[in-house]
Amino acid sequence: MTDQNPNPVLSVQELTKDYPGVRAVDNVSFTIQSGHVHCLVGENGAGKSTLVKMLTGALRPTSGSMSVNGSAYQPDNPQDARDGGIATLFQELHVVDELTVLENLTLGMERSRFGFLIKTDLDDRVVQTLAAIEPSIDPAARVSTLSVAQKQIIEIARAASSGANVIIMDEPTAALSEREVERLFAVIRRLRESNVTVVYISHKLDEIFQLGDAVTVLRDGKHIATKNLCDVEGRPELIEMMIGRSVFQDYTARTKISDQKVLQAEGLTNRVLRDVSFHINKGEIVGFYGLVGAGKTEIARALFGADKAEGTIQFKGRQVTGSPKQAIAAGIALVPEERRTQGLFTSLSIRENIPVMNLRRLSNNGVFRADVEQDAAVDYVNRLNIATESIDKHTEKLSGGNQQKVVLAKCLFADADLLLLDEPTRGVDVGAKTEIYDIIRNLADAGNSVAVFSSELEEVLGICDRIFLLYDGRLEAEVVNGTDVDASNILNVVTGGHVGDVQ
Amino acid sequence: MTVSANIGRTLSDDRRQMSDEAFITLLVASVAVGLFLFASLLVPNFFQLLNMLNLVTNNWAVISLGIGVSFLLVSGNFDLSVGGIVALSGVLSVWFAQATGGANALSTGWGMPYWLAISCALGGAMAIGALNALFVVRFRIPSIIVTLGTMMLARGIAQVVTHGSQRNTNLPDEFGVLGNLTLFDTSVKLPVIFMAVLLLIAVFIERKTVFGRLTYWIGANPIAASLSGIDKERHVTYLYLFSSAIAGIVGILLASEFKSGYSNRGTLMEFDALVIALLGGVAIAGGFGSVVGMFFGAVILAIVTSAATGMVLSPDWQYILKAIAVFLAIVTQTWALARRNR
Repeated sequence: MTDQNPNPVLSVQELTKDYPGVRAVDNVSFTIQSGHVHCLVGENGAGKSTLVKMLTGALRPTSGSMSVNGSAYQPDNPQDARDGGIATLFQELHVVDELTVLENLTLGMERSRFGFLIKTDLDDRVVQTLAAIEPSIDPAARVSTLSVAQKQIIEIARAASSGANVIIMDEPTAALSEREVERLFAVIRRLRESNVTVVYISHKLDEIFQLGDAVTVLRDGKHIATKNLCDVEGRPELIEMMIGRSVFQDYTARTKISDQKVLQAEGLTNRVLRDVSFHINKGEIVGFYGLVGAGKTEIARALFGADKAEGTIQFKGRQVTGSPKQAIAAGIALVPEERRTQGLFTSLSIRENIPVMNLRRLSNNGVFRADVEQDAAVDYVNRLNIATESIDKHTEKLSGGNQQKVVLAKCLFADADLLLLDEPTRGVDVGAKTEIYDIIRNLADAGNSVAVFSSELEEVLGICDRIFLLYDGRLEAEVVNGTDVDASNILNVVTGGHVGDVQ
Repeated sequence: MTVSANIGRTLSDDRRQMSDEAFITLLVASVAVGLFLFASLLVPNFFQLLNMLNLVTNNWAVISLGIGVSFLLVSGNFDLSVGGIVALSGVLSVWFAQATGGANALSTGWGMPYWLAISCALGGAMAIGALNALFVVRFRIPSIIVTLGTMMLARGIAQVVTHGSQRNTNLPDEFGVLGNLTLFDTSVKLPVIFMAVLLLIAVFIERKTVFGRLTYWIGANPIAASLSGIDKERHVTYLYLFSSAIAGIVGILLASEFKSGYSNRGTLMEFDALVIALLGGVAIAGGFGSVVGMFFGAVILAIVTSAATGMVLSPDWQYILKAIAVFLAIVTQTWALARRNR
């Protein structure tokens, strides 16, 4: 399957990584051509992260070899990898907020004499690099004033100016709004023009078709294919290679929505929100769609009592106020935006994570009911199809999709009538996404209400019965989902245009 | 640790036999046993039942304090105030119990009956705990700073009450009973029983109760804990009150044992309590650790210091030996955990 690459910058041969009991990467060989945007796709747990960790020196392969520009490459640590010309842009940003853009770019490269910094041509060089990549960023600006996308661009510029000829990007668009994604893509295209190779990892297949030259597909640790993207026949083929079956998200009108209001919010206002009012019915899936910063998370947190907001929230005819504890007691549960920092106890096992939101079911006059915990863990691991060999596995070792399923299991164990899901499928692979959507639909069919807060249009159009469009803290419009829904109008509203402007 | 038989079909193979906590506790316990045997080879008369017992009973105060400190560490908080509280509650119990109208200021107290004197002293100790909780929970000041402050505050009050000296006169006879009471015609004193009972209760709370589990959740991820509906403010408040109550009782028992209130009593005990917790595998970042591990951490420290004084080395070497033990133990644990979870 492998194409003959005339000019490989990076190649791996028969690379294998074993963990006790698991072969994470299994005999993988492929080459990456110089000056390409080479995409790496696969479901969570397919071995992408392990492969990247070996490329960056964070892990050592069990067997196999790698080579850069034809010579053997065996990084012992990330510094070795950088010296070998391979830089990585991780999901977590490594910029220093308190310093200026320029100081960040030259961090670690400063020259000093007698302990005092001396001025070199380094500054001019990095300013030029930055200007070539993204002229709109002022080198003197403080990094804390920049957006997430701009911070990523700073990291890319730092990698480029340090002489890296391969930049690995691990889901760089996960936290970006659609407009920022466009900007990042422009940067990546300019990198490609200057013959920098980009290894691009993403779950968003549209991005891969927009951006990529070639794609490598992994599944269950095995290499499935490396192809030029012009030879790939659209999403269906790529998805089929990734999961071995076809998945399509299409909304079909649901019949089990009652018109009984379960939640009524009036005039929610806080530092982000401006007079937001809406209601949610029993058995309904509603979507809140808007750009990053439009107020999705703030609405979710206000409903859950995690943030203060003026206005009234009536749940099942009762006023709810105050704290997450009271919200959970009333029957509202939240899957937070950031699963690793807000949703999961990453140092604890799956078993220990699941029961936390329902202490009443766990407690027998204060004594912990280990049997309930055990049964719940086994039950949810099987029901939500969480891929693990043991319920005692630490959740930090699970892939993103499985971590998200554990957070969902937490909320399901809470027996909530209303689930608030903030970006429920961010950083989750296609297979797990479909499964999560099925879980959401089943919950709603069983009479629960679900609110999905998402910045992916495909997602809200795929599963929500009604969609609230947000822009700048305001609820601008409400759309009833159906086959005749106008996606261009929705995009227009959430980017600041007015309803009906688009012909 | 205990995986019951009804585990799901797909989950049964390749399951963990033991949690990380059990693994570390076992490691610490083996090191303690190994060290004891090693010391027995070097030091004459070290290998004796009585000596083994003494290693524990001589350290009842620090082990008791270590229980409260361990729980707080697991929840992600420090408590450096326990040594100061030991001094404060001891001094207060003496001051309250001393008869009125003594010959000078240091022999004049409040003349309370003994039960009332120790209740009020305990109240004073728990007031310091409440102060810790107030600043840590309400004003969100880092616990290491808060408890460093209250450590000095508590000892400072003790110093003022004793005029920088000690109070040991004009005390009722029953004052010296609690600390020196031996039980069942043996040499085991009441304070040791107190420690043993406290240990059992603590292990039960840690392993078997919702309260214990809440402590781990809060320490593992305070944000996720709050968003999961856990009232972490209230829980941490309870932990500080419990820790200060334990320290208060230890102070009262020590004052009774020596029949004096001394403002320098318990100096550095807060650090010893912290050290044995860390030796026992409690994570300084929270979310991990066990009381049993802390207990064996105390045993390790006791073996190292007592073996040294039993050997040719002068007692002056004990701090250096402690330092070596601490470094070795913590490096070993980090290494062993990383290896296990690789």
